[in-house]
Amino acid sequence: MNDFNLLLAVFLLVNLIIALLRVARGPTDADRLLAALLFGTTGVAILLLLAFTADTLVLMDVALVFALLAAITGAVFAQRAWRMEGVEEGKDGNS
Amino acid sequence: MILRTVFLRIVLFIAVWWILTQGRADSWGVGLISIVSALIVSLVLLPPGLFRFSFAGIFFFLLYFLSRSLKSGIQVALMAARLDPGFHPNIQEIPLRLPEGLGRVILVNTLNLMPGTLSVDLTASSLYLHVLDERQPIEAQVRDIEKLIAHMLCVELEES
Amino acid sequence: MAIPELLSSIFLVMGAAFFMAGTIGLLRFPDVYTRLHALAKVDNLGLGLIILGLLFQAPGLTVALKIILIWLLALAASSAVSFLIARRALNRGVAPWKAKEQKI
Repeated sequence: MNDFNLLLAVFLLVNLIIALLRVARGPTDADRLLAALLFGTTGVAILLLLAFTADTLVLMDVALVFALLAAITGAVFAQRAWRMEGVEEGKDGNS
Repeated sequence: MILRTVFLRIVLFIAVWWILTQGRADSWGVGLISIVSALIVSLVLLPPGLFRFSFAGIFFFLLYFLSRSLKSGIQVALMAARLDPGFHPNIQEIPLRLPEGLGRVILVNTLNLMPGTLSVDLTASSLYLHVLDERQPIEAQVRDIEKLIAHMLCVELEES
Repeated sequence: MAIPELLSSIFLVMGAAFFMAGTIGLLRFPDVYTRLHALAKVDNLGLGLIILGLLFQAPGLTVALKIILIWLLALAASSAVSFLIARRALNRGVAPWKAKEQKI
């Protein structure tokens, strides 16, 4: 049973890496922000699976912090860049 | 009324603390301080009496939410698996009927997880939605969710 | 294999499958808005199913309640963040992708 959790965690990790490579390519910086979402869902799922793999339930707290941080990072990124729009308008296009 | 709100919030914070510490008995010292500070912060940020909610309304809302988000996940997953996803995306403007405040926030966030809709902008009078298929009856779905939220928060819908 | 373990495995595999579908959507969908649809909806359903599967393995009530709490938090977080990203993209003038027959 525990090996099964570990297997799924590795599978999700591969998923996350592929998704992150795609996200890093852009093309717009809005695409890159999707990484915050990925860690909020896939990252939390991986950590929860690992928490139930060995006797490491403390990893649940890490998952909790990941979910919190994903919310804060996303909000701050989006908000900050949005306000800077007037300063560097047209610098990053949607090419 | 205010006493009831304060009581409900204290119960909520105690429950959250109990869950977070997984029922450890030696954590209640810190817990007491945390619960009191959480209560003070919540009373400052969200004063009692601003809104009410009905438990039946929450139940119906959750039921609707869970079934529709299941449907929406399956729908988009199938689109991703198909050779031709069959998008007809567009941005639609929907006039809002919920009063400003919490209800609108819940509506915007709920629609992100509902079939075929993604909130892209919110103004004083309208909500802008990115829809995956503009031929679907999106507005009817938004109206349903509006009604459920209005029931949950005990508010009246405005005429648009 | 006992029934709870079997149910747990079924939900976990379904959850992982949805995560894979979400990643495929992310790779294939044409613009940032449609990719947000894929991440917000499919990945959250995947997370929900993984958590449902793990509930069968939870050693106690508080652990079970705690992962439900994490799920609610992750749900609210990703929904709010997807709205902020979409609004930002729109304000930056990222035009939504359109189907060919729509362009005419």
